[in-house]
Amino acid sequence: MTSIDTSAAPRPWRRRAWAGRLFVAPNLAAVTVFLLFPLGFSLYMSFQQWDVFNPPKFVGLKNFRELFTSDPLFLIAIRNTAIFTLGTVAPTVLISLVVAGVLNQKLKGIGIVRTIVFLPLAISSVVMAVVWQFVFNTDNGLLNIMLGWIGVSPIPWLVDPQWAMFSLCVVSVWRAVPFAAVILLAAMQGVPETVYEAAKIDGAGGIRQFVSITVPLIRGAVTFVVVISIIHAFQAFDMVYVLNGANGGPETATYVLGIMLFQHAFSFLEFGYASALAWVMFAILLVLTVLQLRLSRQRSMEAASGLG
Amino acid sequence: MLDKPFGRRTLLRGAGALTAASLAPWAAGCASDDENALTFFFSANPDEANARMRVVDEFQRRHPDIKVRPVLSGPGVMQQLSTFCAGGKCPDVLMGWELTYAELAARGVLLDLNTMLAQDTAFAAELKSDSIGPLYDAFAYNVGSKGGQYAFPEQWAGNYLFYNKRLFANAGVAPPPTTWDKPWTFAQFLDTANALTRRDGSGRVTQWGFVNTWWSYYAAGLFAMNNGVPWSTPLKNPTHMNFGDQAFIEAVQFYADLSTKHKAAPNASETQSMSTPDLFAAGKAAMALGGHWRYQTFMRADGLDFDVTSLPIGPSLPAGHAAVSNIGATGLAISASSKRKEQAWEFVKFAAGPVGQKIIGESCLFVPALRSALNSGGFAKAHHRVRNLAVLTTGADHSEALPVTPAWEKVVALMDREFGPVLRGSRPATSLAGLAHDVDEVLHSS
Repeated sequence: MTSIDTSAAPRPWRRRAWAGRLFVAPNLAAVTVFLLFPLGFSLYMSFQQWDVFNPPKFVGLKNFRELFTSDPLFLIAIRNTAIFTLGTVAPTVLISLVVAGVLNQKLKGIGIVRTIVFLPLAISSVVMAVVWQFVFNTDNGLLNIMLGWIGVSPIPWLVDPQWAMFSLCVVSVWRAVPFAAVILLAAMQGVPETVYEAAKIDGAGGIRQFVSITVPLIRGAVTFVVVISIIHAFQAFDMVYVLNGANGGPETATYVLGIMLFQHAFSFLEFGYASALAWVMFAILLVLTVLQLRLSRQRSMEAASGLG
Repeated sequence: MLDKPFGRRTLLRGAGALTAASLAPWAAGCASDDENALTFFFSANPDEANARMRVVDEFQRRHPDIKVRPVLSGPGVMQQLSTFCAGGKCPDVLMGWELTYAELAARGVLLDLNTMLAQDTAFAAELKSDSIGPLYDAFAYNVGSKGGQYAFPEQWAGNYLFYNKRLFANAGVAPPPTTWDKPWTFAQFLDTANALTRRDGSGRVTQWGFVNTWWSYYAAGLFAMNNGVPWSTPLKNPTHMNFGDQAFIEAVQFYADLSTKHKAAPNASETQSMSTPDLFAAGKAAMALGGHWRYQTFMRADGLDFDVTSLPIGPSLPAGHAAVSNIGATGLAISASSKRKEQAWEFVKFAAGPVGQKIIGESCLFVPALRSALNSGGFAKAHHRVRNLAVLTTGADHSEALPVTPAWEKVVALMDREFGPVLRGSRPATSLAGLAHDVDEVLHSS
């Protein structure tokens, strides 16, 4: 910075503040137009009946009432989303902990391994789903060919409703692990080396160090990963749409809330109903997240008092 | 930098001016195009799009004052259309499907073309004499108590059977029927499909007797139609679906058994690696159920010598009863909010009229919806390889409609869910009685 003339001090300051606002303005406008407005609009729409072609009609709580009392598919979607969330979040956290633990080692060529592990993060989920469709092909898919080598007969990964959800979870975990591993790896690198040295002197092995030192000390990051993974699982749509079709098939095996929302909005043109569903999803996520944060805070306080 | 605010300002202004300058001609160009042109929204694969463009080009040659801007739809037609209309840019002319136009008509999106016909009596008379009844009526629909004609058919896209002549001859199997009036039976069809299915030493199928290239639940329903059961009662604005009818169940079970019991048709897993049209085109399937949109694919296949035949009839129909196809037509509609209704009317008249239909008939891609184009030399020339041409030329007359209801998308979602286990063989077709109940509930609530 060059010197500033003190006699004119207020002017540049004001100018700077003005410039600051100017620079923030485009982002602020984007947040207003693309975030706040749609949020408000969808809340408004959740009390309306709207098919895009005709003006909205106020229906009060009818959309919510129908959702909870007379839509059998809502329960199916909730059940599938719950299975998908459990089937995705638990393996993601466990696998990414192990992956981050391995990547945290100071080994030769670890940079290359890290790059390979993080690659799925850079691929679009649609591309990923299309590639996995080939992998899951019953007759000529890579997975069944490899299973054939060890004598396993072909599994109808995407054709059988029982297997379709499992396949979807596999792809989702494969996709979620890199992101979770980045967060956990960053947290692991923040654990002081001295703690490990002390543990080593006390005779703790690698696994013991990981379980008793690394994992407790990165609890915050783990909680974050769990919260983000649950939110992602609830929002699942693009991958299901490409991998299992627009109706979340076969039959209703992968009919999750995201697919239900899209179907009501764009196939059935029930935008009000879809908005109500979106707000119900938001409410469920909010409750889950608050509960999780409370629990983790409680646990860390207990841990802190235990240590003290 | 901070003590040189003017430098920064100048830079920002310069950037702003440059952006505005670069956007101005683009915006202006876009606006001028939008202002004048008549928008024509349709969905098509590249070949079909070319055929429709030939109609558009010929129209523009004859009407140089009317500029047509084609808008090609992506896979989610309703999604795209609703987005356009919500943004106040509803296309002037839009392609509608027999199964889904009611959704738009019921919402007031489509213009009742009878209002235009009333002012154009010469064309009305010409259209009436040249039209094929079932096709034209497919787009007549009651909104409330008021009846209207919401589109003019532009093609017949019902389903029939393609068969590989060489595979039939090699197996010593007699060729199938040549017309809809003298069809074969379910039993004869099954025997033929079984006789044409070949397996290698390990039991793996090398040649299928039958493949379906259409949606499987629609195909199953088509077999039910040929067992004497319409899909719903009545067909327009139905209140009851006949999925639970004994003859419907019997036909769906027959269709499902083709793959699950007799293994004469591939199941869902077996068509993952090679699509059913490819199986037929490659000579690995002897018969294929499909509509005329498959014709060009098969015509281009190397060494494929094929012909067309009717569907078989089920045991619930008396012997000698004619077989039926489905209408499956697409039609041309005019948006009720169009600001260019007169121009749109000229275009629809042309495309659905004798000249447009003649171009459509010569394309090899569509079966025209007017008798004059259907019986023209151009259509016969485009299909010179087909010996059983009557299957195509009388197909529309032997077609029956599928239900027309604004709730069709919901019905399809339910069908997709309930037909799956039946066609996979994990549930008997009698379980469709439950589907009939669920669908009836949807029909009553909508």
